[in-house]
Amino acid sequence: MMTIPKSTSGARILTAAAAVSIAAMALTACGGPGTGSAGPSVEAGSGEGTINVWAVDGQAAENDALKKIISSFESSQSKIKVNLKLFPSDQYTKAVNSAAPGDLPDVLDFDGPTLASFVYNGKMAPLKGSVSDATLSNQTDSIKAQNTVDNAAYGVGMMNAGLALWGNKKLLNAAGVAYPTTPEKAWTAEEFTGVLDKLATVVPGGKPLDLSEQYGFAGEWGTCCSAGPVIWSGGGTMLKDNKASGALDSEANVKSLTKFASWKKFTDPNADGLAFTNGRVALSWVGHWTYPTYKALGSDLVSIPLPNFGKGTKTASGTFAWGMGATTKNGTAAGKFLDFLMSDESVHTYTDANGAPPATKTSLATSSLYGPGKQLQLLGDQLSKACGTEDKINDNCVSVTRPVTAGYPVVTDQVGKAEAAIYAGKDAKEALSAAARAIDQNFADNDGYKK
Amino acid sequence: MTTQTQQIQAPTVPARRRSSAGLSGHRFAGPLFASPALLGLAIFLVAPFVLAVVLSFYRVQLNSPRPARFVGFEQYARLFTDPDLAAAFGQALLNNFSFALIVVPVQTVLALALAVLVNRKLRGMVIFRTFIFMPLVFPLALTAVIWRLIYSRGDQGLLNAILGLFSGGTLSSHDWLGDPATALGSIIVMSIWQSVSFQMIIVLAALQSVPTELYEAASLDRASKWAQFINVTVPGIRNTLIFVALITTIFSFRLFDQVYLLSRSGSVDRGSTETVMTQIINTGFDNNNVGQAAAMTVIFMLIITVIAIIQRAAARQRGGV
Repeated sequence: MMTIPKSTSGARILTAAAAVSIAAMALTACGGPGTGSAGPSVEAGSGEGTINVWAVDGQAAENDALKKIISSFESSQSKIKVNLKLFPSDQYTKAVNSAAPGDLPDVLDFDGPTLASFVYNGKMAPLKGSVSDATLSNQTDSIKAQNTVDNAAYGVGMMNAGLALWGNKKLLNAAGVAYPTTPEKAWTAEEFTGVLDKLATVVPGGKPLDLSEQYGFAGEWGTCCSAGPVIWSGGGTMLKDNKASGALDSEANVKSLTKFASWKKFTDPNADGLAFTNGRVALSWVGHWTYPTYKALGSDLVSIPLPNFGKGTKTASGTFAWGMGATTKNGTAAGKFLDFLMSDESVHTYTDANGAPPATKTSLATSSLYGPGKQLQLLGDQLSKACGTEDKINDNCVSVTRPVTAGYPVVTDQVGKAEAAIYAGKDAKEALSAAARAIDQNFADNDGYKK
Repeated sequence: MTTQTQQIQAPTVPARRRSSAGLSGHRFAGPLFASPALLGLAIFLVAPFVLAVVLSFYRVQLNSPRPARFVGFEQYARLFTDPDLAAAFGQALLNNFSFALIVVPVQTVLALALAVLVNRKLRGMVIFRTFIFMPLVFPLALTAVIWRLIYSRGDQGLLNAILGLFSGGTLSSHDWLGDPATALGSIIVMSIWQSVSFQMIIVLAALQSVPTELYEAASLDRASKWAQFINVTVPGIRNTLIFVALITTIFSFRLFDQVYLLSRSGSVDRGSTETVMTQIINTGFDNNNVGQAAAMTVIFMLIITVIAIIQRAAARQRGGV
């Protein structure tokens, strides 16, 4: 009796699901084209009044630090007030994407690889003239590379991000493994395989390595922090002259990523995220952000450079930074606020709260964690040996900026997907070539994302 | 609907009004009553579909200052002629069909078996029913975390640990989600576990509506329990079973969450588990390629329509409804 009407309504549920998703696409698409044509029009303004600030709702400690910095800014002078608005982290980029340039605040937070797209869409203003030259020149080279689009600085950063192999000294000693302490002495990929062989005998599960599989390779973690360092260290790049074919699917990348995948047999899947702290693994390939948890190991915690695939160890760098909305009417006041954010005192307050490496030269030198002789000195050193973007890599530099292009979303999606496939056993050449073709097709459709 | 309204209204509406204004009222009653539903359909079904068709003829990129560009059938042509895209789309369709082909019969039979099981009048049955129904109540995001632990490779995986225990250590290190050969199968098992209780509840309701006299008569005829099941229970709930099979098919093609949650978070070759829905979302929102995603949606919609029509015809023949 009810079968017939229900079957069609069932079909409708399905079509509705498909249709709603497309409707959502249509709606969001409408916000995109047509809104970003006008060029940036910053007005210096009076240098007084209230400035609006958008930021990511981060960890509680980070938010508290930011609020503390803002209140000391307000009490340091009487003319400028700050109106802070926090957005949930998973909504933030969407909020900026869907806002028309005219609706953006005077000052906003942004994630490194999204900057090129914001600039492309006419949403960000260059900082020169609003932010002091001293502030701009105090930025570390690695964060400068991230925040520069078409030779103009669009952002300044308080913090950076870096990767390392975290080691458990007790287990390393038990296996008789001597570990490198400077980027120059990094294990070669071959040596690293030997090290894993030795370590496998001393850890309970026989899998001494954690590659942070729990983050999933088929996403930003894959591109930035897993495939990225492997590709760059092997002498390859993801893009060359805005083209992926011939770069991403190069022999060097095939070789490096195949080597990387060969370590799967030594890798603990770390589904519970506790592999390192529970002593199941001796080495953990992850970012600085795990330090607050990993420091439970005390003096047994050591940081080791990632393996060298031929052209020296490499790490990704780059994270959230600050810029100015393209249509701010109060550029002078916004610039003053950014200058204050980049002062040593503000940077220390902020990076002490989240444990990140400072991104200004003076505060990095005096950092209690990353400075000379401190526990995370290696990460600080790596970040100060900046290569800049992929095309500028050489044997001696260490930290590399992710491709600065408005087409980054398709790059990261395809690179991550290819890495996951290779790690699951697919032929590396095949996976990388397919990814390269998909990226090139998308770039061609968008005329290379050139203005 | 119109005839029903007339029947109900006939005795109550005064003759005087029926002659003039009443008549026109009758004429519009059907459309009037149907209008909320029609409006809903138009807003949520027809308009988005038309939009999707329109979008599929354009090259539209999310977050791009470029205006949409009319490209005719290019998105469709690419979907069938670009070797990478055609292979990926074909693989996603194949995954959808394999999923449906296994899940629909297995889940329907399992739902029936479970319903028969929990329909017994035993003490503590409420607790048993609760346990079977529970997976449906938990958010999928939560259960996905647990299933990732179950499928985790090496000794850490619960499934591997159990297999290792029973096989004396010979089977212990399979990578259920990471191996393309077992990835889809793993998602199938999890999906059945998660949603079989929904179908079970529907079948259970149907079971309880089969008249007990039929069973009494059958026992008087000395029919065995199995004979009763085949000749009384199954015919009694036949329409419900058809309905369950249909709705499970629909769910199978709509498959998204499980795949998204399980394969995005692990180190899984996405191609081995991708369904058309995950691919559409990936193309539209991760690659920002809205035009291409719209073309995929339109084709998928056409395929689903064909399946729905075939199923409807088959159900009418078999069920006589």
